[in-house]
Amino acid sequence: MSDTEPTTTYEQAREELADVVRRLEAGGLTLEESLALWERGEELAKLCQHWLDRARERLAAAAPADDADRS
Amino acid sequence: MTAPSSPEAPWPVRTVARKIADWIGRLGEVWVEGQVAQLSRRGGAATVFLTLRDPAADLSVPVTCHRDVAERPGLELTEGSRVIVRARPDYYVARGSFSLRATEIRAVGLGELLARIERIRRLLAAEGLFDAARKRPLPFAPGVVGVITGRDSAAERDVLVTARRRWPAIRFEMVNCAVQGPQAAQNVIDGLRRLDADPTVEVIVIARGGGSVEDLLPFSDEGLVRAIAATRTPVVTAVGHETDTTLVDHVADVRAATPTDAAHRVVPEIGEQRRLVEGLRSRARSVVTGRLDQQVRWLESVRTRPVLASPDRLLHGREEDVDGLRTRARRTLVHRVEGAERDLEHARARVAALSPAATLERGYAVVQRADGSLVRDPADVTDDERLRIRVSGGRLTVRVDREADPSADQEEKQS
Repeated sequence: MSDTEPTTTYEQAREELADVVRRLEAGGLTLEESLALWERGEELAKLCQHWLDRARERLAAAAPADDADRS
Repeated sequence: MTAPSSPEAPWPVRTVARKIADWIGRLGEVWVEGQVAQLSRRGGAATVFLTLRDPAADLSVPVTCHRDVAERPGLELTEGSRVIVRARPDYYVARGSFSLRATEIRAVGLGELLARIERIRRLLAAEGLFDAARKRPLPFAPGVVGVITGRDSAAERDVLVTARRRWPAIRFEMVNCAVQGPQAAQNVIDGLRRLDADPTVEVIVIARGGGSVEDLLPFSDEGLVRAIAATRTPVVTAVGHETDTTLVDHVADVRAATPTDAAHRVVPEIGEQRRLVEGLRSRARSVVTGRLDQQVRWLESVRTRPVLASPDRLLHGREEDVDGLRTRARRTLVHRVEGAERDLEHARARVAALSPAATLERGYAVVQRADGSLVRDPADVTDDERLRIRVSGGRLTVRVDREADPSADQEEKQS
């Protein structure tokens, strides 16, 4: 994963990942295609994970401040 | 005329009393309006004593009249009732006391007052001063609240205490003035104008405790009502008891039932607002976390799908296919080979069966001409022709010699 912010949005990654899984499960692919598709799937899953982790961090980042200013 | 008085020649009391009486008499007959403060009917005495108070100015004057005047049928003269009196100033020289000698007393009924207010109301309503459309919304949390009320009155305390408790940061711009009597209306108008001109004042509260219709009269004063209508700043009125309605209530942007209610209308309650904000904040957070959890679960489910979780399964699949194919291939191959072997066997058998070797084995021979064709009839060959004989052991070449056995050709044919 490049360290700069990935350009694909979470929704795009998720959409493509769902499609990859659908095609893999449908079968009828050459070995090469299945491998390539599987690798793409892994990459997309990591990407989704990245976005979800970032969201979790941002949420957590808000939380402490929230408790702190409870005067 | 008597000589002027001087220390050396002072006037006797009677002279002074008479002169006072003369002066006072000069006022002549007047109609005066006021409120009956005290009323005393001493037993059967012919004279009734009462004091007439000016409700607006807090002044009063003693009034005496004959019993009949005071007890005229239909005139329920009681303390507090508003009256109009025709009287003549009277100086009772004997005791040097002054009073108004009343010859006629008329009650200014409550009806009269209310009728006057009603006339003004209808007039102003016709001008649209009371239209709902004119009502302006109150600011949510005003920085400064203008308050017009009687000095140190209960109304003032209610407004300030309640408002501060609800919104400690609130600041006030106070206008303390008369809230009763003829000057009251004008005082309130002046206070109103001053507060309205002050840009920091975002809302103005006019608060007054309960009172009689007369007491509240200034708050139905046409001038005050018009002044309120003309203000830029929203106005909240809390005048009199909940049941009382004065014209200012109609023209105000908000009519509060009581001074305390006015405070409730004008400033939000801080605790409540904080809870509200907290509530919204946590709802927003739970929506986001809910969404996030949902997506995490989705990703989890996708990742555990066999196609992703165990890609080797794909390979397995393929390997199994390959193995399957391999075994099938091998099996077909084996079959084929076996088949081939069997065919070979058969062929060999047939060859063996057909092949001359066995016949040769049994002593036969194959005769071939030079060109390889088989000799079946001696006639086919010519004398001395070179022939090839194949016997089981091998081959040899011979020549035809008919002399040697001329009869041989015949025998062959018969068999």
